[in-house]
Amino acid sequence: MIQIQNLRKSFGHRAVVQDLSFNAPDGAITGLLGANGAGKSTTLRMICGVLTPDSGSIQIGRLGALLDHAGIYSRLTVRENLTYFGELQGIPRKQLDDRVDEVISTLGLDSIAGTRTVGFSQGERMKTALGRAILHSPQNLLLDEPTNGLDVPTIRSLRELLRRLRDLGQCILFSSHVLDEVRALCDKVVVISNGRLVAEGSPADLCSQTGTSSLEEAFVALTC
Amino acid sequence: MLNQSIVVARKEITDSLRDIRAVISSFFYAIMGPLVVGLVSISTHGSASEANVLVGMMAVFTLVAAFVGGMNIAMDTVAGERERRSLLPLLLNPIRRVDLMIGKWLAVSLFAAAGLAINLLGFAVVLRGSGMHLAGNWPHLLRVLALGMLPLPLLAASLQLLISTVCRAVKEAQTYLSLIVFLPMSLGMFLVFFPASAREWCRVLPLAGQQLQLESAIKGSEIPLLQTLVLGCLTVALAFVILRVAGNRLQRDEIIYGN
Repeated sequence: MIQIQNLRKSFGHRAVVQDLSFNAPDGAITGLLGANGAGKSTTLRMICGVLTPDSGSIQIGRLGALLDHAGIYSRLTVRENLTYFGELQGIPRKQLDDRVDEVISTLGLDSIAGTRTVGFSQGERMKTALGRAILHSPQNLLLDEPTNGLDVPTIRSLRELLRRLRDLGQCILFSSHVLDEVRALCDKVVVISNGRLVAEGSPADLCSQTGTSSLEEAFVALTC
Repeated sequence: MLNQSIVVARKEITDSLRDIRAVISSFFYAIMGPLVVGLVSISTHGSASEANVLVGMMAVFTLVAAFVGGMNIAMDTVAGERERRSLLPLLLNPIRRVDLMIGKWLAVSLFAAAGLAINLLGFAVVLRGSGMHLAGNWPHLLRVLALGMLPLPLLAASLQLLISTVCRAVKEAQTYLSLIVFLPMSLGMFLVFFPASAREWCRVLPLAGQQLQLESAIKGSEIPLLQTLVLGCLTVALAFVILRVAGNRLQRDEIIYGN
């Protein structure tokens, strides 16, 4: 469960997030939807704790996150990348190796687990980064535009993984501006524009609120 | 926590040792001094007056070696992480940013100390081979090396990490870190050519102190233990202060956005 109340953040004179409040419940995939520059990434970064909000509160439990870039270490192998983060997360050494193996097999990375990640494809890098995010079995998972640059089979396996995690009761919050993605995956959608909340509800709710037949039209009606 | 800092340091060391090109370039920087002094010593045929200048040069190169050994890893470990966007995921872990910085500092310090050690070994070989006649107060020299010189890589690592946190990319860090190498070099050269300018208090001043004490010990002078101790403590203290400032810089929003 992620609870956000009256969140504000400015960079200089530019207010990026303004009085934003919403919840992302457990056992659901919540999509944070907004145009470019709407404040999605800044919101996610505040939830992760890497940026400090100017005001407002964020309540969140154990967290895993995959933010805009994979940012994995090219001179380390997949296994070493995961192990490093597992150690920093405080997973006891005895359990860590087993857990790393488990995540590698969940993501289908077995064949490249011992390979240094230099020269990896975008999909392989993203999967490694995703493995790093779910390694410590976080209750809350944050993903910032996770399907950017991925091919169709990888996107499908990512969707399946997210649904599986949701069915296990985890809270998943992901940002996107790809409406098909949101419609295919999200139980709940939070729409923001200029750093403010403009609508909240299921994709169907948003369509009925705006009197439109597709999520795309609903999004345009809400944000433009 | 120190445990987490050690995890970070271990990863940084493994990662940097695999960057073979960077390791090779650091190695050449470290043996540059012995090579130059070795070549010059051949031309001077061991004359006493020129040996004095050579000793000064050796001390300068040794100071420089402490700065170049960790230069590549220092720029890669913060500015490089920022550039490759791996700093953000790293900061998501439950680790205090100051502990993260301490881990990186330990790794950079180790590389800097290795550069220093290789340089000193190189000089030992050159001295044996060249037949230069140095008075050499060896017990005092060892004391200066252990208590006065060993803290220098710690200071170099702090300073380089601080600069690396200010820079957004490796290239930018490279520019400034190369300039930083001129600090011991120019100060050292100044003291070699204008030895009269060295006041007594300079002998406990980080950088200048190392240069002066090292040079005196090689020439055979006695160095008071207290003087070396004060120099070592001041150097370590300065290293900690700068490390703290570098750690604080990691707290800023700009480190995420790179402005």
